[in-house]
Amino acid sequence: MGRPAPAHRVEFELPDGRTRAVRVREDEHVLGAARRAGLVLPSLCEQGWDLACAVRVLQGELDHGDARRYYAEDERAGFALICTAKARSDLRLCTHQAAAMRRHRDARELPAPRGT
Amino acid sequence: MAGSEKPHAKGKVASGDVTQRVGVEAIEARGVDADQLVEKLIDAAGAEFTTYYYYTILRMYLAGEEDYKEICEDARLEDRAHFELIAPRIFELGGTIPYDIRTFVDRAGCPDAYLPGTGDASGDGASRDVVVADATPAAILEVLLEAERCAIRTWSEICDLTFGKDPRTYDMAARILNEEVEHEAWFIELLSKERDGVARPSGHFRRGEPGDAPYSKNRGFYNP
Repeated sequence: MGRPAPAHRVEFELPDGRTRAVRVREDEHVLGAARRAGLVLPSLCEQGWDLACAVRVLQGELDHGDARRYYAEDERAGFALICTAKARSDLRLCTHQAAAMRRHRDARELPAPRGT
Repeated sequence: MAGSEKPHAKGKVASGDVTQRVGVEAIEARGVDADQLVEKLIDAAGAEFTTYYYYTILRMYLAGEEDYKEICEDARLEDRAHFELIAPRIFELGGTIPYDIRTFVDRAGCPDAYLPGTGDASGDGASRDVVVADATPAAILEVLLEAERCAIRTWSEICDLTFGKDPRTYDMAARILNEEVEHEAWFIELLSKERDGVARPSGHFRRGEPGDAPYSKNRGFYNP
């Protein structure tokens, strides 16, 4: 059996002001790990396309390689789609950022669904 | 005279006012955000439309796998039937689909179901041989499966939003969801056998005719 993938501490800042920390392995998506820990976060396509699961990255690094539609501008602006993002360091994430990420995409004339 | 009042004969919408819709007022009174619902329906319609388009390509590349091709054709035509079912509801609710098709496909709620090897349109400039080599039956079936899964998530959300509040949209969403769940089961069965050699039966298999759409077309509630 191979060694387990390294894990990182991921702290979620929730809209009600609470924070919740979970361990996320490098070989799993952040949303899946959060869900396994009992944290219910918004999501829809779960393929890194729509913005339902958007977060703002307050601290740390993610791998966005599994996302189906994610732009360099998104990363520069500090947004991530955690349904397909993998932790590459300890992280602090602000959840429920779909509307903010859509405004960011609109400002840069980048495509985004409108209903999430 | 007592009892002569007809409580449903009047409401907030003034007599003769064609700028307002009681059909919208009624669902908003029950807690639906009609504007948000319309936006979600447009995203979902975009996903059905793009899926129909991409399945046209995927089906072609299932060359020689006639059983897979038939099943893909059912799903393709049923996704088109879903688009046809959603579009009228968007207009009924006072919305519109985008006037520019590029805007429409860009806002689709699910990813493009690219032929394997052509992702992000990179295959447009690739040699045909490279594209065909990547587009194995298993790879194509996986694309089909994931497209159906996104659709199930989409329509489950719309069912949740409208249940007990907007029976017309709920009925539509539930019909579409029924077919998307069947499509997922088909592609699990086919991919599992093709890729893993394991039987995971769908529990059902064939339509009466290609794209039969037993929930969304044969009992349609409008006449396209």
